Amino acid sequence: MHGRVKVRTTEEERERKKKEQVLKMRAYRAAMTRLQKKRSAGELDDELLSLTVNLLQRNPDIGTVWNIRRECVLMKVAQLQESKEKEDQGPATIAGEHKDEGDGDKADGDREKVDGSKPTVEQQLQRIYTTELDLTEQCLMVNPKSYCAWHHRCWTLEQNPLADWERELFLCNKYLKYDERNFHTWDYRRYVCAKAAVPQQQELDFCTDKIKVNFSNYSSWHHRSLLLPQLYPNEQQDRPMSEHKLKEELEMVMTAAFTDPNDSSAWFYQRWLLGSGAQLDEKPTVAAFRCWPQKAQLALKKPCADLSQLKLQLTSGEQAWQLESWTPGNEEKTQWQCNHSIEINASLEYALEMQGQRFKLAVQPSDKSIYYFVPPVAAASCSSELLAELQSQLQSCCDLLEYEPDSKWTLLTSALLMRAIDPMQYHEQSLANLIKLQQVDALRKGYYEDLARRWTMEEALTKWPESAQFPQVFELPLKTPKTPYSQYLIVADTVQQAE
Amino acid sequence: MDFTTFVKPSNGGASSENENETTKKLEFWKHVEYIENHGKQEDDYEYCMTEFLRMSGIYWGVTALDIMGQLDRLDRKSIIEFVKRCQCPNSGGFSPCEGHDPHMLYTLSAVQILCTYDALDEIDCEAVVRYVVGLQQPDGSFFGDKWGEVDTRFSFCAVATLTLLQRLEGSIDVEKAVKFVMSCCNQTDGGFGSKPGAESHAGLIYCCVGLLSLTQRLHLLDVDKLGWWLCERQLPTGGLNGRPEKLPDVCYSWWVLSSLTIMGRLHWISSEKLQQFILSCQDLETGGFSDRTGNMPDIFHTLFGIGGLSLLGHSNLKLINPTLCMPQYIIDRLGIKPQRLTLA
Repeated sequence: MHGRVKVRTTEEERERKKKEQVLKMRAYRAAMTRLQKKRSAGELDDELLSLTVNLLQRNPDIGTVWNIRRECVLMKVAQLQESKEKEDQGPATIAGEHKDEGDGDKADGDREKVDGSKPTVEQQLQRIYTTELDLTEQCLMVNPKSYCAWHHRCWTLEQNPLADWERELFLCNKYLKYDERNFHTWDYRRYVCAKAAVPQQQELDFCTDKIKVNFSNYSSWHHRSLLLPQLYPNEQQDRPMSEHKLKEELEMVMTAAFTDPNDSSAWFYQRWLLGSGAQLDEKPTVAAFRCWPQKAQLALKKPCADLSQLKLQLTSGEQAWQLESWTPGNEEKTQWQCNHSIEINASLEYALEMQGQRFKLAVQPSDKSIYYFVPPVAAASCSSELLAELQSQLQSCCDLLEYEPDSKWTLLTSALLMRAIDPMQYHEQSLANLIKLQQVDALRKGYYEDLARRWTMEEALTKWPESAQFPQVFELPLKTPKTPYSQYLIVADTVQQAE
Repeated sequence: MDFTTFVKPSNGGASSENENETTKKLEFWKHVEYIENHGKQEDDYEYCMTEFLRMSGIYWGVTALDIMGQLDRLDRKSIIEFVKRCQCPNSGGFSPCEGHDPHMLYTLSAVQILCTYDALDEIDCEAVVRYVVGLQQPDGSFFGDKWGEVDTRFSFCAVATLTLLQRLEGSIDVEKAVKFVMSCCNQTDGGFGSKPGAESHAGLIYCCVGLLSLTQRLHLLDVDKLGWWLCERQLPTGGLNGRPEKLPDVCYSWWVLSSLTIMGRLHWISSEKLQQFILSCQDLETGGFSDRTGNMPDIFHTLFGIGGLSLLGHSNLKLINPTLCMPQYIIDRLGIKPQRLTLA
């Protein structure tokens, strides 16, 4: 039960309400008993159908009552189809045979009788489906979030080979006008669009219209985020969509965000745009690797449950050694190790191969082991147009912060923009924003602290290969016991606390 | 009833919070009474009209009372008898009450109740396994019942039911179940919806994170992205909403809180403020919790209020397991170990 305000009522009112409820309860119980009795007697007839109507209109969440309706519908459809088969053989008489069933449908009335001609079987079938659709619509008026009513609508349409999907699309438009955040309607819309083969560009235009009416519409931004990567794919997969479209989207979302800087919807979308694209499908990526004659350690950028499918091998010239029987080295499963016996000759060139990728290995001066290392954050390639857009947005954010220095979303987004432009150049400045955020958005202090630790570690790891001590010594910039990206440190001999 | 001090928006300043903290206490005995009476109101209108979810209602009450250490206030025997009567002899699934049809939702509730009462031997468990297995689809998803509704809620119910029955191994295709859930993961926010392409929603995120926790697959989550979206659910009142720009709610507070706990990111929100919000949703007259401050209480929000406080470490409450929303001691007794992440 949601959103029912507790109100003070007089004794009199309470009594009246109580009486009303007793009557309703009695009616409900009587109807349920009758329903169950008829059902168990196999009387899946029109009386049973009409008994369900009242119950569902009052409470569309009683799943069993919908089930009973479906049983009745299936029965009627089966009977009609049987008669249709006969009709196809000899159409003249058969439709009349089943006249009683079709015309007995009390819920729908007797409209075909008016013009005197008998409805065809197909018309009768369509009438059954229409009755179901009408009822679900009535129920959705009572509760637009009734899972049962939405499902019954889908079920009905699935039964009907002649379903009118265009009509359903209009229904979605209508319902989204009442409530533009109802996720049931949005889900239903996606389902209908697939069925009606609505062009994606048309849907994108619909989204744009919705967003222009009201920027604060996370549902619409979400819908948009599904369409864009398909309509404007990014070949390199390092961004969610083509650079050209990305630039346009960034412009649009910034306008939205600045219209109401306290509304989160657009800012969430903005952060996604600034991110690095398709992370979910990302193949396992090697972060670091180190190999000794007796064992090897492997660090992956992201967790991996099972290394056996990665077909890891060490190669040198014509020679190849399979690296097998890996065991996890940490709880997150980003770090792994295996034992073997390989004679390593530091004067030869070695490479690690994984699923067709090849990583050239270097020699660790301290113990002649061989290793590979790449920092976690690589600067994304960025066209000059996109870069100019990011810089102009950063400037706009900074301008806004002049007037509203405590604007949470502006602080966060400007830090994210800085990192999208150049994480190294803006390192200190973006960290300063996070420290400020810990004050202005204190509820999420812990989040900003952790994010700052990540960024600090990213910076240290990026700079590390240029250090004179690389790869023997890593200076840990953090004082906490658990460190993000700790798997990257397998190539170091010593990890020491920075001054 | 004056809740105004708790709905006052705050910028999150930590200075004046301690005063409020001490003034609002858990109305422990009122809640016990509320839940105890809930099951005795055969002639109550609300009670009657919600019979279509009775099995879940009993699970909410039983669990909340057990967390409060007061399980003996309900009649174990009659509850077990009721549950037994609701097992469908044909399908093996459970209905919400007699005269209604079996469904995945009530099958999980029934199994949860029986686990809490250590009474699984009272029913035909193999029939339950068959029911759940029979609802898995070729793409790994689950129907809620034979009528074909697909939703990630049912994926969670299926995996949770089989886990509690110790039959996850060798029954359903776990790999496919996981794959379907991951196909419902959104790139934009790392969250999950009810089906592929559906908007992220805290309740469904709980189901999907819960399923990954039960199947030991939490590494598939983008924890930083999802964790951020989840911690952004906390509003100045301390309560959490289920989607951006929505109102806070005690039940969403549970779903977000438990997901963050499973992901090892509980410290990304203010526990203190959340506790204040939950306590502000108590009905001081009748007992029970409502969705929001000042609304009517119900048994559903009462469990999630109590459960939330338990996860936040409130005294006098038994520990609750964030994945299965059942007392931790039961989960330990069953030897089940849902996966949980620690901060990296």
